[in-house]
Amino acid sequence: MKKTKQINYSKARKLYLKNLRKDKIIVLIGQFALLAIFIGLWQLLADTGAIDPFFFSSPSRIVATIIDLGKTGNLWIHIWTSLYETIIGFIIATVIGSLIAIALWWSERLRKIMEPYLIILNSLPKIALGPMIIFWVGSGTGATIVMCILICVILTTISMLNAFISCDNDKILLMKSMHANKFQILFKLILPNSLPAFISVLKINVGMSWVGTIMGEYLSSKAGLGYLINYGSQILKLDIVMASITLLCILAAGMYFLVSPLEKKFKR
Amino acid sequence: MKNLLEFKNVNYFYQTKESEIKALDGVSFDVKEKDFTSLVGPSGCGKTTILSLTAGLLFPSSGEILIDGKKVEKNDGRIGYMFQRDHLFEWRTIWQNITLGLELQKQKKDPQKLEFANELLKKYDLYNFKNKKPRQLSGGMRQRVALIRTLVLQPSLLLLDEPFSALDFQTRLKVCDDVYDIIKSEQKTALLVTHDISEALSMSNKIVILSKRPAKVKEVMEINFSGETPLSKREDDDFGKYFEMIWRNLV
Repeated sequence: MKKTKQINYSKARKLYLKNLRKDKIIVLIGQFALLAIFIGLWQLLADTGAIDPFFFSSPSRIVATIIDLGKTGNLWIHIWTSLYETIIGFIIATVIGSLIAIALWWSERLRKIMEPYLIILNSLPKIALGPMIIFWVGSGTGATIVMCILICVILTTISMLNAFISCDNDKILLMKSMHANKFQILFKLILPNSLPAFISVLKINVGMSWVGTIMGEYLSSKAGLGYLINYGSQILKLDIVMASITLLCILAAGMYFLVSPLEKKFKR
Repeated sequence: MKNLLEFKNVNYFYQTKESEIKALDGVSFDVKEKDFTSLVGPSGCGKTTILSLTAGLLFPSSGEILIDGKKVEKNDGRIGYMFQRDHLFEWRTIWQNITLGLELQKQKKDPQKLEFANELLKKYDLYNFKNKKPRQLSGGMRQRVALIRTLVLQPSLLLLDEPFSALDFQTRLKVCDDVYDIIKSEQKTALLVTHDISEALSMSNKIVILSKRPAKVKEVMEINFSGETPLSKREDDDFGKYFEMIWRNLV
């Protein structure tokens, strides 16, 4: 509840608000300045020949490459492929991981049985399964989505299970003292109580599903930003590699900013 | 007045991997209707165990626990439980919090019960906060909401597990008065667990003193102070005398 109409602020309050605003502006300027200096310096070093643009590319070459790729029409296919794989992988992994976590919360015995396997699966580098995935589901979009799911799902399960288990025992006793059955404890206490944890899992999964997608596309693919990176490095056109990475940055940031308002909405 | 709650020679053992721990050793006492009884004892002596047994969350190793002459069953519906912290659900409004029990028991459409919930809110000055979230309320108000949440289900016995210990001292005295007032005007029977002797003295008409683990009943004291509220009882001349008697009994 903001009081916007109140005019008679005290001197100290005015100063405080002013400083608050000043601080915000300085931080914002700092953030943009950092980006501008980085890009400017990069361009300068490349133009003067201090770094070899063949290996390090340069902002202008990246922009030119992106425009070039855009003209030939393939750029959108690559972006769309990666975006599609990431979003599908992200959604499936989050849903499956949460369902597994619910099952493990429900049965303590199942949880104990599964514990060592979860730990092993979590520490296994999923990329090692890459060749097998290609044999199982064939190369292309399917393999990439599977890779993406494998990378996110165990982490989702573990994080959500921890959130479920950390629910205050007295709250469960309270529910029991009011005759709640296990379904009611799950739906009316455990799940809503774990919403903040769920949102941080979403934020982590945004990053992880991009890792999965790019890894999957490195392994085998005919389209996607990961494919483009791989292709660019093979024909020694590092501008393509850098352009793809730039696009990746923009896409990942975009997805993150789509998820993060949820946090504000549900934060207590 | 007849006995509402009876503990008859109750023994209870906790099982741990290492050993079997005796928590209660032949505990017998009773609580009469509309009594306000307090259990005091050294920390870790098994006070909360007694509440859990009464609530049907645990069962005695031997002996009997009767409410209204009937043996306590699993999750017995006849009790209301109040905890150290209010445990209001932050994602629910005050109204949704106090009707939680009705919702769980599929009585959310019972107009009489809803009317009763509304009445309680009005009576105890919380009606204006009906649609607020718990975080918008003070600690004392939250504890009142927690009490109303249990009262909505009309339990015959209220169990209070150190319900004031999470509050600061000022709030505590105030909430103590409030809760006492509500319990008395709703004519409820209450069993309070506390390690605070003066709290027990100011609220109850009977105090059961327990020994350290395994808990035995050391003494049962009837308390009768002049004064209407817990706060005014604290000013009674005999308050200090009783305090010392219990204190000596505890150490």
